[in-house]
Order: sequence, then structure tokens, then C-alpha cells
Amino acid sequence: MESQNIRDKKEAAVEVKVHLIVFKLGTEEYGVRIDQVKEVTITPEITRMPKTPSFIKGVSNIRGDIIAIMDLEERFNIERSTAGTQSKHTYTLVMEAKDYTMGFIVREVPQSLSLPVSSIDKAPSFIQDININENFIEGIGKIDDRLIIVLDIYKILTSEEIMELKS
Amino acid sequence: MKSRDQEYKEIFIAEALEYYDALNRHISDLEKSPEDEQLLAEIFRLLHNLKANAKAIGYVSIADVSHKLETAFGLIRNKELNFSDEVVTVLFDGIDMLGEMITNIDSPKEVEPSPALLRNLDIIVNSISENTAELSKVQKYYTSKNLSLSDLIYIQIKKLDHLLNLVGELIIDRDRIVSISKELDNEDLKNVSAHLYRITDELQYSVMDARLVNVGSLFNKFPRIVRDIAVAEKKEINLEISGQDIQIDRNILQIITDSLLHLMRNAISHGIEKADMRKKLKKTPQGNVFLSAQNDRDTVILKLTDDGKGIDQQEVRKAIVQRGFLPAEAAEDLRESEVLSYLFEPGFSLAKEVTEVSGRGVGLDVVKNAIDSIGGRIRVDSKKGEGTTFTLFLPTSIAVKGALLCQVEENFYAIPLMHTDSVVALPSVELHEVGDLLVADINGETITIVYLKELFNSELHEYSGKKSKLEGDVQNIIIVTYNNRKLGLIVDKLLRQQDIVIKALSKPVNTIEIYAGVTLLGSGKVCLVLDVAAITRYFIARR
Repeated sequence: MESQNIRDKKEAAVEVKVHLIVFKLGTEEYGVRIDQVKEVTITPEITRMPKTPSFIKGVSNIRGDIIAIMDLEERFNIERSTAGTQSKHTYTLVMEAKDYTMGFIVREVPQSLSLPVSSIDKAPSFIQDININENFIEGIGKIDDRLIIVLDIYKILTSEEIMELKS
Repeated sequence: MKSRDQEYKEIFIAEALEYYDALNRHISDLEKSPEDEQLLAEIFRLLHNLKANAKAIGYVSIADVSHKLETAFGLIRNKELNFSDEVVTVLFDGIDMLGEMITNIDSPKEVEPSPALLRNLDIIVNSISENTAELSKVQKYYTSKNLSLSDLIYIQIKKLDHLLNLVGELIIDRDRIVSISKELDNEDLKNVSAHLYRITDELQYSVMDARLVNVGSLFNKFPRIVRDIAVAEKKEINLEISGQDIQIDRNILQIITDSLLHLMRNAISHGIEKADMRKKLKKTPQGNVFLSAQNDRDTVILKLTDDGKGIDQQEVRKAIVQRGFLPAEAAEDLRESEVLSYLFEPGFSLAKEVTEVSGRGVGLDVVKNAIDSIGGRIRVDSKKGEGTTFTLFLPTSIAVKGALLCQVEENFYAIPLMHTDSVVALPSVELHEVGDLLVADINGETITIVYLKELFNSELHEYSGKKSKLEGDVQNIIIVTYNNRKLGLIVDKLLRQQDIVIKALSKPVNTIEIYAGVTLLGSGKVCLVLDVAAITRYFIARR
């Protein structure tokens, strides 16, 4: 961590970079800032929790903490990609908000990626994506030929829809 | 279990030693700055408390010495006595003497105050003149001062809470290890895990035990409170208390303190009639209130009984209709125990008629919530004209609860034993469809039966219990009780009874009403704990 910071500082003089964890939802690539991710793990057994919206898959025991697991594809109505490598496992990104922790399921191994801040465009206002409320999109990152949708996970975690889960 | 007297004595000694230490500290400071009013006031206060406590518990000689010292310091405070060297010596001697007496309470070499010292104290108190020549040298027969620390320590409840949480986690891991060792079938591992099991069990027991206090620590505050309420209400109350020795977790006692006070206030101001009224009714002019505690395995039962006017069922039925809880016909059909349970409904208290007529209902929902929050139960029984009894069923300890484990589809669920009444296997033919609910006659009672599988798989407002959906010829039903009402839950499979450590669900899934929390089973499997209160409330409201 220490050396990482030092390295970051050195590079900051040259160009500020953002470190992202990148994962696939549907056919597109999405990213979240690495400092918002507590850990990435193979999805543990999920206990279904009746009376929750379908995008809440249930709760899991991750190192003694019981946390809710959400499926972002279902949450955003993203059609699941059938193409590509179908691995046996899914992965869970454990994300930390101020006062709670939650897991997000992704289907392929998430990767870590650094890209210069300058290559991230603020979310253009014309993206009136019907599925993902633009509020959750922090920007669109471009690197080589890839396009990475950078999500602001705090906004997903605090969005009223989740907070107002009621039976 | 220690007797109450013994416990009081220990507490007295611990407190007295603390006072003694403080006195020593303060008087040394005072010697340096004799003008410090605050120090004087503090010394005065300490001595005063010490005197009062000693007197209350019957240590007359300690009370006596404290009294004399108190008087001396009173004089110094009023500037009637100089804080001169001679006086200081006497006062130091006096405080040393106190310390000696306190440390040797109940020991074979119990210390009597030295007559010379008492005389010296009398002299400085009485002869306000400058005549200190008479002061005799006090023979210090306790020259070798041995420093000792108290056997009792005070500890913040927060620290005990933390300890208990850690033990809770430890137990979950222990159960995990025990089940792994069974799977692996390794002798060494089995032995170690069996040992681990015993040790953690004992550890848990010890931590829980450290948190237990006597119910008396709350009950003993009531005579005074009752007196005050009685005076305010111009009533005569005879309070009888029993079961002070029963032990309960300190936090649980803390949580129900307000509730018990509330119930007591209700009983005296609304339950007990005025003396002239009571005479007319051929009752004793003093109202009788009984406060008792008893143990029933893991449960502590507190009872508050008054012999006042009781609750008029018809009035309550009327109020149920007036407040719009039920239509009139339905209200008439309610069983007695069910009628009274409406007293705990939020908003019921707003009915002014009820408050005046039956004298109950003010904030009873708050009482109920407090008791629900610790997984307890409350029941009310009342006969018009004869009185009312509130019974509180409380868990002895917060952390570990007995629960019944059951399975619905692939999931395990736990139902706290506090809320389970019985388990029955009922042939499907004995279930009947009434409206969109299932009911069954169980031991002469008509009970609403909820098919959990259907409940879990449908929107709450779309739930309908149809016999056609049931699987199998016999249904396993867990009868739960909440607030005097019963509800049957059909489960796929009954598993076993087990002690569980309930963890709170974290955001954002903590708002889902039907879960009281979550627990980890020995297998590492997550098991949801059903909130019987919420489920029952929903179905009762619906009917």
C-alpha cells in the first residue's frame, strides 16, 4: 500500500491516474474506483432472502460479516451476455459505503486497470440510458479500443430504491 | 447464589473503600490549600454518604465516626473551626480509623474506634474555643499500614458488551470447527474440538454471568417511587416485592426499566381506586400492588399485579371498533385474551374514552416495543373489578437464544423459542379455507395458518392460502404466539432446536420486516431469523 502511494505520487507529477476494477455486465465493460472495493472474492453460497426485490440475490457470509448480495445486471436490466467464456464461478465485488457493505455479482474475473484521468469523459448529458440512471455513471473511460463505463458506486449504494426496501 | 445481604455488604464495602480513598486524596489536598471550598464540600458529601450508607446497612460505629468527622468538616466549612495543625492531625487520624474499620468489616479482628480518637473528635467539635491542649495523643495501634486493593472492580458495561459480542462470534466459529471435525473424522481434531467446545461454553457462561445483576437492583427503587406516585395520587398503596434475588442481564433490566415504571404508574394512578371507593367495594382501603420475579429456565418472568378496578372488556371492544381496528361484529367475536392484546396497538392509547374508562392504554405500545426489542413477551390478564396483571417474559441473557430451526424450500429459518408455543403435524384435510386464509382447529382454538412457502414466494398483499397449493398429506405446523395471539406456520421440514446468536441484518436489507436478524449455523450456512411479531401483526391486521 505504502509503495503504491509513493508510486502514485511520483506519477501524479506526470499524469494523474485512476485505478479501476473493471468487470463486464452484459456485453459492456464497467469500472469502479479501486478504493471503493473492499475485496473481490469467488461468490460464496448465497442464502435467498424472500421478500426482497429480485435484484437482491440474498445474503452471504463473507468472513463473518453477513452482507446483502446484489445482481447489477438485474438491477439495471442489462441483458446477460451468453457469449464469451462461461466460467463455473461468479465473482463478488465487496463494496464499502459509509455505513454498510454490500456485494455485487459479476460473471467474469474482474481486472484491475489504471487509466489517466484525462481519458475519462464526464458522463455526457445526452446519455439518457434508460437502463442505468446517468446519476450512477461517473464518466466514460477510453483506453485503446475499449470503452469503460465508470460507475459511482456510492450513488448506487445510497440510491433510494435500495434504501427503501420494505416488505 | 449469594444472599442479598451478602451482596449489599460487598457493594457497601467496595463503595466505602472508594470513599475512603477519595477522602484521603482530598484531605491531603485540603492541607495544602485549606481555603478550597470545593474540596471541603466534596469531603463533606463523601462523609455524609458514607454515614448514610453505613447506617442503612447497620455498621453503627462507622456511621458514628463518619458523623463526627462530618460535623467537624461542617464546622470548618462554616469557619467555626480553624483548620489548624492539631485539628488536621485529628482529622487524619479519624479518616485512617474509618479506613481501618472498613477494611476489617466482618473480619475476626474487627476494629472498634479508639476511644481516645473519639474523644479528640468530640473535643474539636465541641470546644470551639482555642483550647486544644486537651487533645490526647492517639495511640496508633494500626501503625503498619497495609495497602490493599478492593476485591470488587467497576467495569463499563460497554466493555462487557464487547466481550459478549466476541464470545458470540467465537461460538459461531466453534460450531463450525466442530462440524468440520465430524466430517473429517480425525481423532485428534475431534478431541481438540470437543475440548474447545467445553471451554467456549464455559467462557460464554462466565461472560454472561458477569453481566447478570439482581432484579432487586431495579425492584428496590420501587418502594420510594410507589410512595411518591401514591402521594401524588392521594392513594394509599401497599407494595409487596418478591424475587429480588432473581438474576438477569444488566442491559435487559435497563431496557425494561422505563416500561416497568410506566406499568407501575398506570397501576397506581388508573388501576387502584380511591380509598372511599375501595371501602364501598369491600376492598382494603390501601391498594395492593405486587411486584414479583421468578425464573423459568432461560426466562425471567416479572409480574406486576394490582387489585384495582381491572379492565372492562366491553369498553375495550367498543374502542376497538371506534378506533377502526375491527368492524363491530368481529370485535364481538374476539376471545378475551385477544381483546386485551389490542391495548398494545399503537394508536390505541389515543382513544380518550379508553384511557379514562379502563385506565390503560397510555403508551402501552411503547412498553411492548421495548420488550419486543429484546425478544421478550408481554401478557395482560384482567378481571373487571378484581385487578390487572401484566406479565413480562424476558430472556435471561441477550446474546444466546434458544430457537427452533426449520426449512422452507432450500433455506433454513430460525424461530426464537420465546415465541413458539407448540409443534403439530396436522393432516391437510383438517385445514380449512376461510376467505383467502387457512385456518385450523387446534386444541379447541381456531388458529390462522400461514403457508410459509407461499408467503415467501408471493407479494405480501397477494398472499392467499389455498389448500390446493399444499404439498403432502400432513403439514408440519409451528404454532407461534405473540401478544396473546396464536398463528400457525406451515414449514417444509422441522429440523432441530438449537442455541443461536442473533446478529442484526445490515443495511440495506435491515428494513425487511419479517426478519428479526440472521445467524450463522455450525455449517457456516446463513440462517434467517423470522420476526414472529411482524408476521403475526400482519396476519392479525389482515383478518
